[in-house]
Amino acid sequence: MTRYIVARLLWCVPVLLGASVLIFVLLRFLPGDIVDIILGTEGSATPEVRATIRRLFGLDQPIYVQYFVWLGAVLRGDLGSSLRTSEPVLGILLSRLPITIELALLSVGISVLMAVPLGVLAAVKRGGPIELLARLVGLIGLSLPNFWLATMMILVASLGFGWLPSLIYVNPLTDPIENLKQMLMPAFSLALALMAIVLRMTRSAMLEVLGQDYVKTARAKGLGERLVLMRHALKNAMIPVVTVIGVQMGTLFGGTVVIEQIFGLPGMGWTFINGIYQRDYPTVQGAVLMLALTFVLVNLVVDLMYAYLDPRIRYG
Amino acid sequence: METRPRFTRRSFLRQSVLLGAGSALLAACQQQSPPPAPKAEVKPTEAAKPAAAPAQPTAAPAAAAKPSDAAPPAAQSAPAGQVRGGAITIAQELDPVSLDPHKTSNFSAVQGFEHVYESLTQYDEKLNLQPALAERWEVSPDGTQYTFFLRKDVKWHDGNEFTAADVKYWHERMMAQETVAPYKNWFDMIERIEVVDKNTAKAVLGKPYPPLLATFAALRGGAITQEGAAEKGNLATTAIGTGPWKLVEYVPQSHLRYVKNADYWNRELPRLDEFTMKIVTEEDARVAALRAGQVDYAFLSQEGADRVKADRNITILESPKAWLTVAQINTSRKPFDDIRVRQALRMALDPNEIIQKAVSGAATPSGPVPTGHTDWFLKPDELKYQKPDLDKARALLAEAGQSNLKFTILSSPQYPEFVSTALVMQDSFKKIGVDAEVQQLEWGTFVKQVNAPAFDYDVNITARTFYPDPDHYLYPYFNSAAVNNPNKSYNNPKVDELLDRGRTVGDSAQRHQIYAEVQKLLEDELPHFWFYSGLNIEAVRNHVVGYVPSFTGRRIFLKQTGVQR
Repeated sequence: MTRYIVARLLWCVPVLLGASVLIFVLLRFLPGDIVDIILGTEGSATPEVRATIRRLFGLDQPIYVQYFVWLGAVLRGDLGSSLRTSEPVLGILLSRLPITIELALLSVGISVLMAVPLGVLAAVKRGGPIELLARLVGLIGLSLPNFWLATMMILVASLGFGWLPSLIYVNPLTDPIENLKQMLMPAFSLALALMAIVLRMTRSAMLEVLGQDYVKTARAKGLGERLVLMRHALKNAMIPVVTVIGVQMGTLFGGTVVIEQIFGLPGMGWTFINGIYQRDYPTVQGAVLMLALTFVLVNLVVDLMYAYLDPRIRYG
Repeated sequence: METRPRFTRRSFLRQSVLLGAGSALLAACQQQSPPPAPKAEVKPTEAAKPAAAPAQPTAAPAAAAKPSDAAPPAAQSAPAGQVRGGAITIAQELDPVSLDPHKTSNFSAVQGFEHVYESLTQYDEKLNLQPALAERWEVSPDGTQYTFFLRKDVKWHDGNEFTAADVKYWHERMMAQETVAPYKNWFDMIERIEVVDKNTAKAVLGKPYPPLLATFAALRGGAITQEGAAEKGNLATTAIGTGPWKLVEYVPQSHLRYVKNADYWNRELPRLDEFTMKIVTEEDARVAALRAGQVDYAFLSQEGADRVKADRNITILESPKAWLTVAQINTSRKPFDDIRVRQALRMALDPNEIIQKAVSGAATPSGPVPTGHTDWFLKPDELKYQKPDLDKARALLAEAGQSNLKFTILSSPQYPEFVSTALVMQDSFKKIGVDAEVQQLEWGTFVKQVNAPAFDYDVNITARTFYPDPDHYLYPYFNSAAVNNPNKSYNNPKVDELLDRGRTVGDSAQRHQIYAEVQKLLEDELPHFWFYSGLNIEAVRNHVVGYVPSFTGRRIFLKQTGVQR
């Protein structure tokens, strides 16, 4: 088990290297750089002045030189400094990441808590109103864009009920209740699409599992229906569901880019997109590394969960 | 042989709990939210001052600051001068990218630092120049030496005394190449600052530059920072100024919190004890927060204002703003080098249609200097091409031999009104048989493509914000040697001569004549198309009193704002 985890963690290295090369090159393919952004359309700097400034930022070096200089620093634990504010990128990202992780965990929590029971019920009670409800949730969840849902929730809460949680992000340790109030709408708007996917997956996996021989055997043994469902069927049906959640983490992080802006949460997604707009290369590169690492770790956890869900799977 | 799985349900659960607790801990390491603000207290002794006074009495009729009809007049009539103390929250529509007053061209940065820093001069509500850190000044007869007599009662927010050495430091930092100051060219005619004594600074110019005093007041690059400030701290994230407000908290993407500077040299100001600027980039969220009473002030579009004007607790203030929307024509490309083609295209356009469709009517037609800029701008009856003339446009195109004209209009979706403007242009051009394609580019890409040295565009849509002097709207674009003149292609010796004279003549009446003449010449020759100058549309909750809009688009007068609950 430990060996497996260590091996998987070692595999992170090439993955992260690949991600870093990709983002490094792609960013520099984007027309315009920090100098263009700083000077905007209003400045009257001559091309010579611009060239001098680029030299000051080290942007005149060939791209591979820039990459290895950056990589060398990363290996020493230094993600560089923001080109815009000169703040260390690691510090910026570490202050933003927890908010995004909280948002992601809450979204996954909400979707699993709502989608799995509904998916199981829809599989068991076919043709009834519950299945109709499940279909509706599936359809709505997949077709409503999260930014639209987020905006509507804000407008309905404020104009309809005159209610909005406090505007400035509250730390969960300072005031967990207020923090939950703040995170509820953003988490739900992110959760809905995931909920639809998990629900559909749960329902179809349950339907498949319920047709298997061992379920018939369990019923023939005289086990109660609840026990058959929860103990024998659901656990097996969860394997594809957990896989889907792991894969969807990427989409979820993508969603935070928009949702954090709408709800004014100073998280990683917003920092990431601002970094792109500002051509703040070190910030974007650092953020991509961190998101890639998170994604890899989440999927490692997903793989480890298989062993729990299906005792036949062993890592050793 | 089967081995017992080493990864059990119990160990999984235990690890999950640890993971959850870990992320909660991480989240807990975030910045804390500010404590609740103290309540307003009302002192009835001060002199009364009406709120929401007209910002620009000289502007076109539609453009006077006025509360919307539906709202009650509370914010207008309350005596702001009597109100002291209290706190408000204002919604900030852009995330300030940096607070460094010298290193940024973003308006969002100005919005963040303008409450903290000051310059030698400042503007009043009517854009008249007033003393600020300099209590008076003398200009040498040849216009090349400005002696500033500094206030003696000014302290930096860290308690240090403000002196002439700070002014010298400011200039050196602005000029240093590694500062990368976008507005460096606004001050590079100052060769050096001489410290005459502790409270006297002399600016020595290479040549006369009449706009200098106003250029300080604009606070773009002109904000004075303390000697050694950039070496002592990070000016992008902290700010120690001399202004009415001290910045006490800055959480990027979240909020900025300011408290009253109790040692401010103007003892009357500021009236509030503190205010918080919450970054709310989505207009829907600003509307919601405003109506729920969570913010007391928000900047809105016309559509946003329409949605809150029915609320009797909110007053909408509309006033002219320096936001001049421009189509830049690439005069270095064929056929745009032909004046007849530019005139024909311009004749196909109706500025009022653009105003209606791009900003729902919230603007006034404008020439090269934005309408409402004190008395520098062309009056409505002096503007040309205010009604389309399609027949003449077609005739001019035929004369120029352009039968199948095709080109691209660049715009950026970061500013939806630019895209709308481009679409209206495209539509109008169709009527004279011209096929324009509208291309939308991400802002950074747009900037790269449009600026020197690329000048890779036929036509692009952008806007000019507040510049202190007409020279800033004209010289950098239309002087034949200017950097922003595409490949130095627009070349009119008469314009050159006038622009140069505008930089040397000190007499205000003469300068007014010069700039009126230049603007009329440009309106004839159309190296750019100028469409409209926008409005400040600001919503305030009625208990906010004394707030006055500014033509600069800045929130200068938050310092005289109070609350009356």
